[in-house]
Amino acid sequence: MTKQEQLQQILRELKQALPELRSVVVASTDGLPIVHDSADAPRVAAMAATALGLGKRISQTTELGSLEETIVRGREGYFVVYAAGDKGVLALAAPSGANLGLIHLEARDFATRLAQVL
Amino acid sequence: MEPLKVVVSGPVGAGKSTLIRTLSETEIVDTDALTSEAIGKELTTVAMDYGTLTLEDQLLYLFGTPGQERFDFMWDVLTEGALGMVLLVRGDRPEDFPQARRQLDYLLSQQPVPYVVGVTRQDQPPVWGPEEVALYLGQPAERVVGLNATEPTSAVQPLVRLLELMLQEGAA
Repeated sequence: MTKQEQLQQILRELKQALPELRSVVVASTDGLPIVHDSADAPRVAAMAATALGLGKRISQTTELGSLEETIVRGREGYFVVYAAGDKGVLALAAPSGANLGLIHLEARDFATRLAQVL
Repeated sequence: MEPLKVVVSGPVGAGKSTLIRTLSETEIVDTDALTSEAIGKELTTVAMDYGTLTLEDQLLYLFGTPGQERFDFMWDVLTEGALGMVLLVRGDRPEDFPQARRQLDYLLSQQPVPYVVGVTRQDQPPVWGPEEVALYLGQPAERVVGLNATEPTSAVQPLVRLLELMLQEGAA
């Protein structure tokens, strides 16, 4: 399997594990989409990289230790951004009723798998 | 005197982060990520840079933007409430001038504030001088300053000019 196919495969499995997700974008840490299921991927990828980069810096400045994730919570749902190693960003959108604990648990696993391929 | 928020913007590789690093008197905030494109450097700003500088008793808050146009949403976020702007462009990369002009037009349309264009890499000829870049961009000569972003006495020049222009405009 090519790298792209492996990443697509991980994306499919992530969506099977968390069927409630509205969209998933995997991007480079400098904000370019790599694999995704979002119509608005270029913009979401750039914003996810910004959210992760700023989250890491806030975490460092306010002495929170290494960053686990950056969460944006709106009235209608969540946008959660995880680091996938040094080079990747995993961004998920989920509706407001979603089980955030389960999402974190699965997403961190998948972020580790993505990091190994990236 | 009230602190003055100044936005430092410009195309990728212009020297925005370097300028803030060179000038800041307090610990800077930076948000570098590894680059995945061939842009001639390993790290690039994805959210913002921040530093502070006191110039003639005036405290300046320097907010640096990302350079890539895909991060243009951060330009809007960071220019909010800005009272001045420095747009940097590399003097040895004329292919960046069109983007610099687009970016300057866009930022000033969002936030019409006093501004200065800084032409970096003046220490590394062959390089376009500020007068030539002023002609290219159709800007008055007094708004375009040459500098070397790694050298403190040179890096401060666009901000010195910005304060002068603001004083003149305030008095006028």
